[in-house]
Amino acid sequence: MTAAAAVETRAPIAGAPLLSARGLHKSFGGVRAVSDISLDVSSGSIFAIIGPNGAGKSTLLNLISGIYQPDAGSLSFNGHNLSGMPAHRRVRLGLARTFQKIRLFKQLSVLNNVIAGFHVHHKIPAWQYVLHGPAFARDQRHCREEALRLLEFVGMTTRLHVLAGALSYGEQRMLELARALATGPRLLLIDEPAAGLNAAEVDVLLDRIRVLRSGGITVIIVEHNMDLVMNVADRIMVMEYGRHLFQGAPAEVQKNPAVIAAYLGGELA
Amino acid sequence: MTTTIVLQQAINGVVLGSLYVLVALGLTLIYGVLVQINFAHADFVTLGAFAAYFLMHLVGAGYIVSIGFAFVVGAVLGWLINASIFTPLRRKGNELLPLIATIGVSVMMQNLMLAWFGPIPYAFETKYSSEVIRFAGIFVSWQNVIIIAVSSVTIALLYAFMKFTFLGKALRAVSQDRETAGLMGINPNQLIMLTFIIASALAGMAGAMLAPVLVLTPFAGTSVIVKAFAIVIIGGFGNVEGTILAGLIVGLVESYTTQYLDPGLIDIVVFGLLLLMLAIKPTGLISERREENV
Amino acid sequence: MLAVLAIITLPLIFNDTYWRTNLTICAINVLLALGLDFILGYAGQLNLGHSAFYGLGAYVSTLLIVKLGVPFWGAFAAGVAFSGLAGMFLSLFAVRLRGHYLAIASLGFAVIIYQILLNWISLTQGPLGIYGISPPPPIAIGGTVLVDFRNLTAFFYLVSAFTLLVYLLLDQLVRSPVGETLTAIREDEVSAASLGINGAAWKVFAFGVGAAIGGAAGCFYASFVGTLVPDAFFVTEAFNILAMVIVGGMGTLIGPVFGAILLTLLPEVLRGIGDLRLVVYGAALTFVVLFMPGGLAQAARIVRDKLGFGGQTS
Repeated sequence: MTAAAAVETRAPIAGAPLLSARGLHKSFGGVRAVSDISLDVSSGSIFAIIGPNGAGKSTLLNLISGIYQPDAGSLSFNGHNLSGMPAHRRVRLGLARTFQKIRLFKQLSVLNNVIAGFHVHHKIPAWQYVLHGPAFARDQRHCREEALRLLEFVGMTTRLHVLAGALSYGEQRMLELARALATGPRLLLIDEPAAGLNAAEVDVLLDRIRVLRSGGITVIIVEHNMDLVMNVADRIMVMEYGRHLFQGAPAEVQKNPAVIAAYLGGELA
Repeated sequence: MTTTIVLQQAINGVVLGSLYVLVALGLTLIYGVLVQINFAHADFVTLGAFAAYFLMHLVGAGYIVSIGFAFVVGAVLGWLINASIFTPLRRKGNELLPLIATIGVSVMMQNLMLAWFGPIPYAFETKYSSEVIRFAGIFVSWQNVIIIAVSSVTIALLYAFMKFTFLGKALRAVSQDRETAGLMGINPNQLIMLTFIIASALAGMAGAMLAPVLVLTPFAGTSVIVKAFAIVIIGGFGNVEGTILAGLIVGLVESYTTQYLDPGLIDIVVFGLLLLMLAIKPTGLISERREENV
Repeated sequence: MLAVLAIITLPLIFNDTYWRTNLTICAINVLLALGLDFILGYAGQLNLGHSAFYGLGAYVSTLLIVKLGVPFWGAFAAGVAFSGLAGMFLSLFAVRLRGHYLAIASLGFAVIIYQILLNWISLTQGPLGIYGISPPPPIAIGGTVLVDFRNLTAFFYLVSAFTLLVYLLLDQLVRSPVGETLTAIREDEVSAASLGINGAAWKVFAFGVGAAIGGAAGCFYASFVGTLVPDAFFVTEAFNILAMVIVGGMGTLIGPVFGAILLTLLPEVLRGIGDLRLVVYGAALTFVVLFMPGGLAQAARIVRDKLGFGGQTS
């Protein structure tokens, strides 16, 4: 499936990483959630951030997506400096995310949730919002078609008009994925996608993520279950207590003694 | 000469302030355990004032007794409102609806009082309002002495209750984390009911003491309540020490505004302060930060 | 279309001054309720101070007419614009505050505006009020008067036409992506931001529009009643408007219409009970919240579904 082009993006510069972070720090009331984190994510890859609970992974994701601003350090995405940029503007640059605690619009239907994702793409002259004209109709039609295509991608075309709140947990996750894709991202941040899913659902999810990569979308996954990311990630970064522990290809990560020590308690393959 | 005025107004400020504290404490306690704002709180104050008035004029009871009566009336009303409105609504778990329900109750109460008591202000006088002690050029009516005495004792008792007794600690536990408190064997519903009763009783009592100072109409509570909200916010929602401090500050601000500016400007000054506070530090003077989990 | 028919025929049915006055007040209240519902029901912002915008619209337009001789429609536009700006000012608080804090800030705002109207005597004449405000100038072509707004029916048509227009425009707006955006912000602002929605900007928009509509209602009110006193805009008025929105059905457009009509006419119908009729406001509000939070609009939907009429649920 192809992603709709995002609004303000330039094509990624070949060779340069799509997302770069240098020396990110974030504290909350004296507690260091993220400490001196740097990373590079290449375009068209799947990058995983793993670590035990409390390692600071979600905070890092929030820094990247713009919900928090870092206390120190820099972030750069596709040549744009993200310092001080609020979350909603990052979406226009092609950065989308899902949430660990699912944040769908429960009162809206499946279809309308996805359509909500097209917010940055509407091409309607201002007056036609109040007096619906031809451009309005065209835009609405286009949104609907795209939404159907995305829902087909996540396998939810039979549930179009169900209220999001009535879906099963697994369906909600897939819906959130479709909605995030509606924004037409170059980079998709996925926060703990496997939480609450059964094995079959996880497989489907990982498969969809691989398809996204082959379509040119870069993915960052945050997970605490290492097994899961082993066969899908190109590169893995391990965090512990807000700090960078190790970074490398899956095979290297598996063998690294520091990582093994951190994961005592058997989440290691 | 000016120091006398300053001191005089200081005393007036403390008198007013302590009454505001009583009203505001009730609000802040309710917010602490329920995370709800009770708009009808104002009308408990008004009702307390009317209760005291009628006890004194119909039955000929003394002022101090009437204050106690107002306390009881407030308690009963609090029990009633919580049982009939808040408890059923709590199961729905919506943030907005209970707030609006309290607005509905408030409107009902105000208009009921309007129908029963009429819009013309009642003159509330006690034998204490005219008798005055005088020292160092400052006049303090016995009325004010009683107010300060009763309020300080009540506030002190409440503070001690919250800090040192088991029930008080349980109350604080419930306001911090209702689920965990429940798991520890504290029944949140009973505690919430207790909080409501205490808060409403305080409001009723404050009403009886405010009566001589207020313009006693069914809408008397409204003028107090919005100030009480201001105090609760300035002091920090759910924060007892902050509320006490803020209440005294507002009382002082009010009396000095009356003295040096214009009584009509009181509300503007107080609310200007409130809006300023909200713009700069919404969590209040003395507050703990609560982070929202994403 | 039913609405247009109703509007045209109603004053003809009720052809005494008393009821025609009530109908006009109804229309003004519908306008107020629509404005508040846009902020509260659609954008989900807890605004308890709508009376401020009502009062500002009334006073700004009236003062311009009375003190500076500005023609009616110019003053109307100014009143609407001023209220809209006031709304955007209040929205700055909405951007920074959540839920209960905003509720109290908006209440404080309404109190401050009321106190200013009451105390700035040199400007507003305070409690004494402003008298002799004239209705809009008649529509005339070449010396022949076509419509004279001193006629109650004509004024009613004017206000209702305006209200209907506002309703239709809002309806189109909420059926567009703007409606979805506001819903998103109302439901979950963080989630909305992850879709590129700038919550702050849209709140300013919602407040501006809602407040401007409230201001328009104020302008009509002033020229209708002819006398302007601050007490009409005391904070309790904000609660009355709130009651209309909630009882009618928050978050729908037809809800405020139902609610405003019901709560304007009910106290009149109940005149027999005397002073207890105002209790109706509070009672209606409380019962709706307890038993039917979606208000009359929800009730209408239930009835319609039971009777087997299809149609989309919004």
